[in-house]
Amino acid sequence: MLEVRDLSKSFGALAVTQRVSLRVAPGERRVLLGPNGAGKTTLFNLLVGELAPDSGLILVDGRDVTALSVDARARLGLARSYQKNNLFAGLTVHENLALSAACAQGKATALLADSHRDRGVVATVEEVAERVGLSELLDASVDTIPYGARRRLEVGLALASKPRILLMDEPTSGIGPGGINAFHAFLHGLPAELTILIVEHDMDLAFGIADRVTVLNHGEVVFDGPPQEARDSALIREIYLGSWGAEGGGHA
Amino acid sequence: MFHQTPLKTGAVLLLATAAVVYAFTTGFFGLELLTEVAILAIVAIALDLVAGYGGMVSLCHGALYGVGAYAFASATVLLGWGGGAGMAMAVAGGGAFAWLIGAVSARTHGIFFIMATLAFGQMAYAYFFDSPLFGGSDGMPGIARLDLSGAGLDLNDSRGYALFCTVLALLAYALAATLLRSGFGRTLVGIRANEPRMRALGLPVWRHKAAAFGTSGALAGLAGALAAQHTMYVSPGLLHWTVSGELLIMVILGGLGTLVGAVLGAGVLVFVKHEVARFTDHWHMVVGLVLIATVLSGGRGIFGQIEFLWGRRGARRPEPAATEGSPDHA
Ligand SMILES: Nc1ncnc2c1ncn2[C@@H]1O[C@H](COP(=O)(O)OP(=O)(O)OP(=O)(O)O)[C@@H](O)[C@H]1O
Ligand SMILES: [Mg+2]
Repeated sequence: MLEVRDLSKSFGALAVTQRVSLRVAPGERRVLLGPNGAGKTTLFNLLVGELAPDSGLILVDGRDVTALSVDARARLGLARSYQKNNLFAGLTVHENLALSAACAQGKATALLADSHRDRGVVATVEEVAERVGLSELLDASVDTIPYGARRRLEVGLALASKPRILLMDEPTSGIGPGGINAFHAFLHGLPAELTILIVEHDMDLAFGIADRVTVLNHGEVVFDGPPQEARDSALIREIYLGSWGAEGGGHA
Repeated sequence: MFHQTPLKTGAVLLLATAAVVYAFTTGFFGLELLTEVAILAIVAIALDLVAGYGGMVSLCHGALYGVGAYAFASATVLLGWGGGAGMAMAVAGGGAFAWLIGAVSARTHGIFFIMATLAFGQMAYAYFFDSPLFGGSDGMPGIARLDLSGAGLDLNDSRGYALFCTVLALLAYALAATLLRSGFGRTLVGIRANEPRMRALGLPVWRHKAAAFGTSGALAGLAGALAAQHTMYVSPGLLHWTVSGELLIMVILGGLGTLVGAVLGAGVLVFVKHEVARFTDHWHMVVGLVLIATVLSGGRGIFGQIEFLWGRRGARRPEPAATEGSPDHA
């Protein structure tokens, strides 16, 4: 489904991604772990094409997409949510989701019909809003809704494009324990065939949902295996959990 | 997002009625002013489409307008085509040139985009200024107006021509409004709000921006054809960047991103210019002061301010802010 071969990227002397190789199966839920600055977000940027790698390959369904633009990759079914909210400011929740859904459903360039009232688009908007708990806020401006709602809309935008591969970058950051439980339920409600890559700092959530765990440290894959093994690995405890106490407060 | 609200519809109907009443009560001089307003309103609508809704602030709309005027003049005077074909040529010429400018400039943003459009505009200005084929700095005289006598309309009559331009301005508004409430327009607003995210959602942003700019240029070209027929003469001055600057002033004064404001801005600027010029040569200063007042008072422009106040009036009705304190779903 999604495959990465020997991907490398440096910012000057700083090697942020070092010979990373991954293979994510269709419908797999893969959790990406790693301390701050490990290169998780950078890997996402490389995968969706917002950054160009120095070397290596990215394949979607066996097809080399390394040279494809961001939008062309998105049209192949690759969607991502951002660590820092990246919404359409000044617009309503409905308009935000509709922009995404219209784009995926080929309504973004219709010259006469209002894409935001299109039946298919509206159905997707309502379905996604229901999933991420924004049904009550559809007509509210994203500038006025609470932080937690904006965070859920961030994921909703990616979901409304009906992707086949969904990358989520710390979707639960800053939303509190209640939000994390709700997010867990949300993940379980997603279609089984959706392939998911998620950067998650909450260990219980991460190990609870992962089919497989990949751990990055200094841009390198230092672990790739089932969650039980990750939990027991001394290496991970050392490089990852060592820094956990220091940042636990920030992500709780 | 653009919505053809009852307030907008009311304002458009009011302006159209005022124009028609004015056309039948004023004399020759007033009809000249009305014609000028209607023509500039079309370019201002074209500019608001890309600047107000697409976030592409352009300093080349004067040049697009001028290219339309020259296209009409060349087609009718040099090639001997009819007025209808000349108008089509102006629309195509303005559209094609604008598409090219948009395609090249769409990857730049902010001040760089403005500078790129300025450079293209001044290039076109310099070209017509130096070109012997198009009369160089003297321009081209002897342009005839469209012949609509078959439909019982005499466009050589100044009232007939003023009403003709008013109707086209109304159609330009309807076209822009239709486009803005379509999927194309919604997406354009999405690009203005967050271009990288629109791209991440799968939109070929570059193509969309170039298409929007081209459409805007086609409208500006149409207005250019009307201007050429109005004065029956074209000169390179039409393409000068100061014309673009004045168009931008109209749109900002009337209310950037309100569409109705573009029409209002064109009207206010033309009438202020002529009224104030009767008393003083320093009408530019008066316009400047009005513009400064507009920017300092919130920057919404005349119609933007009207919509703002209208919206607040609506919000004060007994529906409390439904978004406040809504529970995070848990
Ligand atoms: N555009 C850039 N230019 C230079 N350095 C960068 C750039 N983007 C990221 N970096 C650096 O690359 C390293 C990896 O950053 P990245 O954001 O990928 O880490 P991360 O694993 O997502 O961390 P976090 O958990 O804090 O989100 C960091 O040291 C960061 O400062
Ligand atoms: Mg990160």
